[in-house]
Amino acid sequence: MQFISFGFLIFLPLVVAVNLIIPRKWRYIWLFVTSMAFYLSIDVKGAVVLLLSILTTYFAGIFLDREDKQSEKSATPVFVLCLAVNIGMILVLKYLGFFERTFFNILGKEVGDSLASRLIAPIGISFYVLKAIGYLVDVKRGDLKAERNIIKYALFVSFFPQVISGPIERAGNMLPQFSYPLSVDYDRLRDGLMQMLWGYFLKLVVADRLGIFVNSIYSGTEASGLVTLIGTIFYTFEIYCDFGGYSHIAIGGARILGIDVMKNFDSPYLSMSVAEFWRRWHISLSSFFRDYVYIPLGGNRKGIVRKYVNILIVFAISGLWHGAGFTFIIWGLLHAVYQIIGFVLKPVRDKFISLFKVNRNASSHMLLKVFVTFMLVNFAWVFFRAESLSQAVAVIKNCFDLSPWALTNGEIFRMGLNEANMLLALLGIAVLVIVDIANYKGIVVREKILSQGIWFRYLIAIAAVLVILVCGIWGPGYDAASFIYQQF
Amino acid sequence: MKTRLLNLCKAAVFAVLLVLCLLAAVTVVGKKESSYKYADFFDKAKENQIDVLFMGSSHVINGFNPATLYRDYGFTSYNMGGHGSVMQATYWELIEALDYCTPQWVVVDAYMLEKDYQYLDVMEENADADEINTSVEQLHLNMDAWPLNRLKIAAVKDLIRDQDKRNQFLFDFIVYHDRWSELDENDYRALTGKADRNMLFGAEMRYEVEKTPVSYPVPDEGALLSGHTVGQEYLRKIIDECQRKGIGVVVTYLPFCADTEDMIAARSAGAVAGEYAVPYINMLDKDIIDIRADLNDTGHLNVTGAEKVTRFMGNWLEENGELTDHRGDSAYADWDNKSREFYQGIREMTTSEADLYTELDVLSMNEVGSVIYFNQGSYAFRDDSLRKIVSNIAGTDNIYQANGPYILINDAGSGQTYEAFDDGFLGGVPTAMGNLIYQPVEARFRFLYAEDNEELNYLYDDAHVDYDIQVITYDKETGEVLGHMYYRSYGNNYRVD
Repeated sequence: MQFISFGFLIFLPLVVAVNLIIPRKWRYIWLFVTSMAFYLSIDVKGAVVLLLSILTTYFAGIFLDREDKQSEKSATPVFVLCLAVNIGMILVLKYLGFFERTFFNILGKEVGDSLASRLIAPIGISFYVLKAIGYLVDVKRGDLKAERNIIKYALFVSFFPQVISGPIERAGNMLPQFSYPLSVDYDRLRDGLMQMLWGYFLKLVVADRLGIFVNSIYSGTEASGLVTLIGTIFYTFEIYCDFGGYSHIAIGGARILGIDVMKNFDSPYLSMSVAEFWRRWHISLSSFFRDYVYIPLGGNRKGIVRKYVNILIVFAISGLWHGAGFTFIIWGLLHAVYQIIGFVLKPVRDKFISLFKVNRNASSHMLLKVFVTFMLVNFAWVFFRAESLSQAVAVIKNCFDLSPWALTNGEIFRMGLNEANMLLALLGIAVLVIVDIANYKGIVVREKILSQGIWFRYLIAIAAVLVILVCGIWGPGYDAASFIYQQF
Repeated sequence: MKTRLLNLCKAAVFAVLLVLCLLAAVTVVGKKESSYKYADFFDKAKENQIDVLFMGSSHVINGFNPATLYRDYGFTSYNMGGHGSVMQATYWELIEALDYCTPQWVVVDAYMLEKDYQYLDVMEENADADEINTSVEQLHLNMDAWPLNRLKIAAVKDLIRDQDKRNQFLFDFIVYHDRWSELDENDYRALTGKADRNMLFGAEMRYEVEKTPVSYPVPDEGALLSGHTVGQEYLRKIIDECQRKGIGVVVTYLPFCADTEDMIAARSAGAVAGEYAVPYINMLDKDIIDIRADLNDTGHLNVTGAEKVTRFMGNWLEENGELTDHRGDSAYADWDNKSREFYQGIREMTTSEADLYTELDVLSMNEVGSVIYFNQGSYAFRDDSLRKIVSNIAGTDNIYQANGPYILINDAGSGQTYEAFDDGFLGGVPTAMGNLIYQPVEARFRFLYAEDNEELNYLYDDAHVDYDIQVITYDKETGEVLGHMYYRSYGNNYRVD
């Protein structure tokens, strides 16, 4: 059962309806049962791994939270062992095949049909294991009391709106909400549904439409330089709309169940630097790496060189977390290098700005910074999307082959999107940009709409449903299991 | 409490508006082929005006013309044939139709009786993906128009194995929402119930002429399909259903270029009909059509073939059907109007048809009077297909003896034909255009004029000296000239430019 399936459209209202009538103090049990049912509907075998992660971190958390002196001594080995088990599960199930391939490639040998090559990582393992690890570290640090109620804890790890692709929430935010969930009133229901609609629009109308064009480019269809460049830009928006759309559905879905989940995106493509981009893109993951990897490594407290090394380590891990392949590692390292170069060149940039008396607050200057950041991120996404390093290099090389005639000779419409679909895709991007600009300025468009008169609200909501259902890319020939981040 | 009630009301109003808008969207984006075909069926069934249902595959769609049956016999009928309909699809089509009407007769064609698979999305073992896709798409023509109810669910379950594909039939918006970028005016007219509809009571006429029909060896006497097939099973079900409801049923096998296996299937259909003592008409064995003029392609009848087959069936129903002639009954004015419109369309077609084979074939329906002229040297004198059609119109073999020129006057009003060829002439033959005189003079000049207007030579025009074929059409009652077509032969390719 995926978010974009008929099953989910029946499942969610049912869960919400029952959730509304159950006494608040028992709701967590209902949510746990439905979360497990949701997960089992997607991945029965993977549920074993999910349970293993829940049980190991639950009991380790209880052990780490004991206050007697004897346990203090054994706390570290238990903590390390539990971490090793959970990280080990990811390494084995997700990366063993990759490590094996790499090893055999170095030896110049063919990889046989080994067990490792046949392993399939359980759905959502990279997300729920990070949540569990975050909980464990918080308990170890003493920032959080261990949760005694195993069902509440299991619900934290397996909460169905988040279990597949996040957001990777903190236990400190979620566990109290399961104990005291908010009442779901009319306004909350409306707000959550509106957010879900926005998510479905981004995913089904924009992302999957752009995906058709992008797939043509990356599947080897002959394309001129400009069309290839447009394809890379479309991918930059596709992955944002895909993952952003998923996150909005997850957050909106949790909201109508009385649970507030953290924001995962905050107008990332309006960032004026790559560092800022990472404060706005996949916020739950970025903050996880900051809190649980970067800072423990020393962060920027141990000198400039160590800071740069730490950035490289964090982004290499981030790349690897996204996928078992060198393209992902290079994507992560590129972001690290962008930031390091940014830091190194900062005095030079400051000098230029002072020399040419550039007004840092001028719109044109800010626009230039946004554009440069966008293009750097766009360039890195090529490695993220490509099947291999050689394909990434070929795509980038092709982008520099100027061919403006592709805009007028019809080639652009031969990549799977006809005129009407291309227009709709561009309109979708335009709406996204407008909403993100408003968000950047602190305006929540959803709230603005909900504060309008009833006819306007109805008009917007009905139009949104119709556009999603009629113009969405779904139905025969469409793989409903294709949220990009689900594979990570 | 008051706020909660108000919120509930608002939510209810929103839900109603949303559902209405969704229904409108479903109507607009829905594919119109099925509703186009069956719109009149629902109307006529509601008025209890359907005497006969024609059931079967595309052979039926192209083979029975309800306009002919009404105009010539006064019997009302609806053509329920579906493209690619195997017997099980035909069975469910009938069950759906009988939910709306109870005709006096069901005519079921047994083409594809030999098919021995149940599910249209699986087919035979060696079926490729394209065949299966076509099979499923064609079923949409049969199924989309029927409303979602238990009957439709049962039909889809019986015809389609894959659950996802079943859902596409039960909720066709799944498939058709994607049409948003190709919507035209007609799609929006569906909202007001004014979308285009089939004006031929479900039938579709084809107008080409198969120039190279093929014949296959006749099977051994008594040869029948070996074993029991799914097709036979559903033919039995169709007969059972009709007999249970007291509806007369007649099994047919329409004519086409049947191969040996088809001929065996046709005989087997007779055997099944025999088991139930229902009439069976194997038209492969009857001299109803001329396969060199009445086929659109090797598998389907063209408009003249359909007219002949329909008249054959009309005669049969007249003799055996105990049906009422509704002509002249004002309640049946729509049948009268649509039949007349069809034949008016045929008349108009004869005045401007660019394909010479089609032109001559349609002229053989005698809806208009015509003059057909081939100049000497024309390729028409070596074109057997063309000569066959002309011979059919003339009712003689004179065209085969002609070296050129050749003229045929088909005075459809009087039923008389007049021919002259080589040096022959016609002297004052009576037609609706007047007494016509034909006189060949030289290669590029000849006379054809009415006795009372010698100034008007129909067969000569400076602008068309190089055209070797002329066809003049005229109103068979008034003699008014309706059209004058010129063709130039390039081998057996005849062009009007």
